[in-house]
Amino acid sequence: MNQHSRHPWPTAPARDVVHVDPIVLQIVEGTLNSIEAEIEYAIERTARSPMIREAHDYRVGLFDRYCRKLTGRSYSAMPNAVVRDFPPETMKAGDVFLMNDTYLTEGSIGHLPDLCSTVPVFHEGIVVAYIQAFGHHDDVGGKVPGSMPGTAATVFEEGMAIPPVKIYSEGVKNDAVFTIIKRNTRVPEMLSADLDSEVQACLMGARRMQGLFERFGKDQVEACFQAILDKCRDIYRNELLSKIADGEYAWEDYVEHDGLTDPKLHKIAIKMTKKAGKIVLDFNGTDPQSTGPINWPTDYADGAFLIKWIAPILRNLADTPERAAEIHVNEGVCDVFEIVFPPKGTLITPEWPAATNARSFVLLRSLGLLAGVVAKAVDGRMPADQETIRYTGFYGNDADGKPFLSREVLGGGSGGRYYADGNDAIHIVPDSRNQPAEFTETRFPVMVEKLALSTDSGGAGLRRGGQGYEKHYRALVDCRTIVTADRVRLGCYGLKGGKAGEPFCVTVDAEGEARKLGGLVDGAEVKKGQVVQVVTTGGGGWGDPLTRELSLVLRDVIEGRVSIAAAGRDYGVVFTAASTADEPAIDEAATAAKRAALAKARPSDLPMIDRGEGYEKMLRGEFRPRM
Amino acid sequence: MSQTAAPRFRIGIDTGGTFTDIVSVDAATGAMAVTKVSSTPSNPAIGLVRGVNDILARADAGPADVAGLAHGTTVATNALLQGGIESLGLIVTSGFRHLLEIARQSVPDGYGNSYFWVKPERLVPLQFVREVGGRFDFKGNELRPLDETMVREAARFYRKHKVQAIGICLMHSYANDSHERRVAEIVAEEYPEATLSLSCVVLPEYREYERAVTTLVDAFVKPYLDRYLKRVHDELGPLQSVPFLVMQSSGGVASSEQILRKPITTALSGPAAGALGSAVIADVAGFPDLVTLDAGGTSTDFCLIENAKPQLTNGGSVGQFPVRIPMIDISTIGIGGGSIAWISREGHLKVGPRSAGAVPGPMCYPNGGNEPAITDANLVLGRLPPALIGGGIALDVARARAGIAALASTLPGNMTAQQLALGIIEIANWAQANAIRQMTIQRGIDPRTFALLSFGGAGPVQSPAVMDLLGMKACIVPPNPGNLSAFGLLAVDWRTDHMVTKVMHEDAIDLADIAQRYAALEKEAVANLERDGIPASQIRLVREADLRYAGQSMEVRVTAPAGPTDAGFLAGLTGAFHAAHRKTFGYDYAGQQKIELVNLCVSGFGVIDRPQMPKLTAGDGKFAPKGTRPVYFDSGFVDTPLYDRATLPPGAKIVGPAVIEEFGSTTMIFPKQYVEVDPHGILVIRPEWSKEAM
Repeated sequence: MNQHSRHPWPTAPARDVVHVDPIVLQIVEGTLNSIEAEIEYAIERTARSPMIREAHDYRVGLFDRYCRKLTGRSYSAMPNAVVRDFPPETMKAGDVFLMNDTYLTEGSIGHLPDLCSTVPVFHEGIVVAYIQAFGHHDDVGGKVPGSMPGTAATVFEEGMAIPPVKIYSEGVKNDAVFTIIKRNTRVPEMLSADLDSEVQACLMGARRMQGLFERFGKDQVEACFQAILDKCRDIYRNELLSKIADGEYAWEDYVEHDGLTDPKLHKIAIKMTKKAGKIVLDFNGTDPQSTGPINWPTDYADGAFLIKWIAPILRNLADTPERAAEIHVNEGVCDVFEIVFPPKGTLITPEWPAATNARSFVLLRSLGLLAGVVAKAVDGRMPADQETIRYTGFYGNDADGKPFLSREVLGGGSGGRYYADGNDAIHIVPDSRNQPAEFTETRFPVMVEKLALSTDSGGAGLRRGGQGYEKHYRALVDCRTIVTADRVRLGCYGLKGGKAGEPFCVTVDAEGEARKLGGLVDGAEVKKGQVVQVVTTGGGGWGDPLTRELSLVLRDVIEGRVSIAAAGRDYGVVFTAASTADEPAIDEAATAAKRAALAKARPSDLPMIDRGEGYEKMLRGEFRPRM
Repeated sequence: MSQTAAPRFRIGIDTGGTFTDIVSVDAATGAMAVTKVSSTPSNPAIGLVRGVNDILARADAGPADVAGLAHGTTVATNALLQGGIESLGLIVTSGFRHLLEIARQSVPDGYGNSYFWVKPERLVPLQFVREVGGRFDFKGNELRPLDETMVREAARFYRKHKVQAIGICLMHSYANDSHERRVAEIVAEEYPEATLSLSCVVLPEYREYERAVTTLVDAFVKPYLDRYLKRVHDELGPLQSVPFLVMQSSGGVASSEQILRKPITTALSGPAAGALGSAVIADVAGFPDLVTLDAGGTSTDFCLIENAKPQLTNGGSVGQFPVRIPMIDISTIGIGGGSIAWISREGHLKVGPRSAGAVPGPMCYPNGGNEPAITDANLVLGRLPPALIGGGIALDVARARAGIAALASTLPGNMTAQQLALGIIEIANWAQANAIRQMTIQRGIDPRTFALLSFGGAGPVQSPAVMDLLGMKACIVPPNPGNLSAFGLLAVDWRTDHMVTKVMHEDAIDLADIAQRYAALEKEAVANLERDGIPASQIRLVREADLRYAGQSMEVRVTAPAGPTDAGFLAGLTGAFHAAHRKTFGYDYAGQQKIELVNLCVSGFGVIDRPQMPKLTAGDGKFAPKGTRPVYFDSGFVDTPLYDRATLPPGAKIVGPAVIEEFGSTTMIFPKQYVEVDPHGILVIRPEWSKEAM
């Protein structure tokens, strides 16, 4: 252990200006990005879990010997826990480590299905870097198939937890570990093949990284690493933080259920302090840890995972969306943020063995939480809220009596931005894809009757929120439906006068008695012939809807994104009596009068953030449990 | 003009953005001729015909001597990449009006981009997407009849709004096309001026979004191709009676009439010709496994040739549009001879993707740009001759050097102009090497077992260094490396592709049904080829099938056994699938998991007589450098011998450093590398460590 380090892993020495060859720097930076892509391609080619192959739920990371992440197209896990338990001076070439324990991985693994492999890179006998990959595997045991029980109260119900262990010693496989792992999953062959795929891909990446050190030498390559980290830090300081006035800003957002108590507001609080070149995020005030599985253990390694997870949100402050897309977020960003955690025992500082498998609720809210508090600091020049991950599906026996399970991740609308409307029906995970209806129908006993955007779901605004899905499935056999979703009552918030979007809702027997389900459902009954309607969240609106250009409202109505009723109610737009569905026409004089009347009837200062009606109802206790 | 009895010239024309390349082969002698004319972007037909006349004039021949013309065009590609979307309509099944808006819900690139990314406009605005009632299940059983009233209303709506090109994509139409065909009839009655593309014709394959977009792209490019091919026909004048063939993305040609029935097949016509030419070289040179590197002014294209065949994909895209028809699998990066070296906002040196293009061009060009490009760097290092193609126009070395020196002065390290130029080239080489690694890893291939084939104007001056970076076994440079695409056009068979989706589980395979479907596809293929005048004796049919493990969604295409579809057929097909799955993904489930048959495909080929690549005449084997030039390497300038490629006899061997110059291209042999001229005049460059060298 480095005696100067505050942590059980080495800390990079402070240095002044880094001298680096500008040519080697470009080669090293380009090659790091390429190595990351090469490892991803290798995993994509050989992994077997559908969550990895089809939903693209896997991440690769390249790190220097101080556990600092060098690439930044995506988030990833971290090698710190491995280095904590296996000091680098004891590592040998050909060693490979595995882990998934949500409490013993320094905050880098959030739920158990994410098994993470780590490979050290050697140069002249010492460890100079780490290569890492984790994938969302289909099953690691626990009380339900898929290892994501919505009603888990402890980690023991969620599956097998693996603290950092060595699974290859100098190239020799530790068969005992694999024997134990395979005995603890419902899909032993698939899981062990996935692990092989990830390990081999990391080893290939390690050889490539080693090649860089051999070609350019350790001093030069490490100087390049530092320059790459510094570049990220400097872009954040010079281009993004500079847009935020020094001062303190506070906000809070909520998860609305935890699988065991429904509904209930679970608060995540944030206080942002901006001062010269630095942002301090204080999460004190966050609610106690939940009895259900929505806890997210983040208070490790100075919050390095949390920082790298939420920091990309600040890219929305870049001058243009094109510039934002160019900014890669690596460990350099940790020089810009400081996290103040609440004491142990909250939603983001839970104590073992609190369950964590639905931590994605808190994880996704943390993005909107930061976006919201920044919005307050920059007069709303941030995107309104989005919620784009939830799991819905069906299981039962098909007409031949064979069991089936279909699971799908449906996205939602994104929030309006000052420069554009929100996007319709998108997903936050890069390159994740929905299921074609023609595939669903071939494979499962359901028929897709409608695959559409939900009219009026996007929050009203000068820049409207994107629309969520409206998807209708007709069950062709008796079966059960499963749901794991947040934002079932609280809509995605609107910004700077924009309105909140419509929340998520699953309705069983939509053509009959229309039963509405809650957000964490492990198996509601569906009869043959009934239609299950899934409506996903619309994005929040941005800016005052009464100022939206009439031509845009007209187009929204022509295209059926906004109903004539909502155009009147939310946008103050009146249509002529002669209007038809195909050819609506705006009555401009009546519209001007209506807009003036609506403006007069509301408070003159529009709220920066609109949480929508659901929030008021939650506060008044008007929602019944739907579990 | 000569008075020969039989027409003997076959002519390939590859129209690029700057130049139109023409290659002719004399069937009587095997002699090959090449030329280049400037492209005429406003009406590419003019440049095309000018080039043909030019090459005929050089051979003292006339229209009567021409046996056939084969053409690679970027008209469809450019329409897709740049074209303003002309008004299009789309007819879908009730409930699916938002198909295009939803797409596959993907946000491209990085994590967190979903907050600021702006979804591009759809191919058809929602207003012009119309629903019609009627529904099939996935087996093609009718659940609800077609609502003909809704179809008529839609047709009248399009007529009223003057929406002329209409795509029709109904649910499960690959399993039952009757509703789509009926929709087409009704629309034709109500609105005879409309051009229609039917998804059951363009892409009868499951996955409604990709099928709809592919169908719309077909409808979209139709008017462009139609207009273009008419213009070509008009310009051809006395050549109008000569067969005129167009290259398809799949690497086969078809007549213009055939192309106009399904114009989407030309989406990647141009690059496909280069890949086909490369495949011929791969075979002739004895390097059947190659990575091709085609470096132009703004970008470099890569393609994998395995066993002397270019890799095809049916999961490709052009720009943002998924185009799920068979096409040569090409990947592209934004590095070419015109790529600019510049300083980013953060003060870092960057090379590309910004490009000086052909206009203004690199700094060294007459009236060139004001920022140094890769070509300037090569020139400053002495690696390129100080004059443009053929020596006509002098290049301004001093200006290029000054530009690079000025850039160097803004960077740390006190670099000389030569040192920075070397660095610029090094960055470009690594970018190309990384791109090759990515594409080979995606297919589980080790690049060290492959050779590199370098062509295009900006390839061979750097590629031998890329070979070294990747540890590849050789870098080969074909004769006339600037004209390989046009040459490829002469080495291409007729091709027509047909497919149908029919999902069958291993336990429920209906062999009679398969036989019937293959027979129907084969009939379509033969009919298409016969329509183009191919005699039955020259038609070759290849059956393929897409299979997957039951329950998965990743199909693999394999060649299906010919002959009767019996138990042996099924065993052969399944065996081929397991093997292909292992090759593609590194594992198989033979004996563990059931398979599912998904698509049946038939490709029909009209086999042509390939031109033999002429061999060099041996002579006395003597050759000598035409002079020397100082060329800069790591340790400074070295007096380096210059060779004129035309003077190198077969079997000639040279140890680097050396520069080999020819019309339109320069090949650099780096110190300690070896080059050998093969019997066909192909340069084979080997690394220092190669045992095969010398």
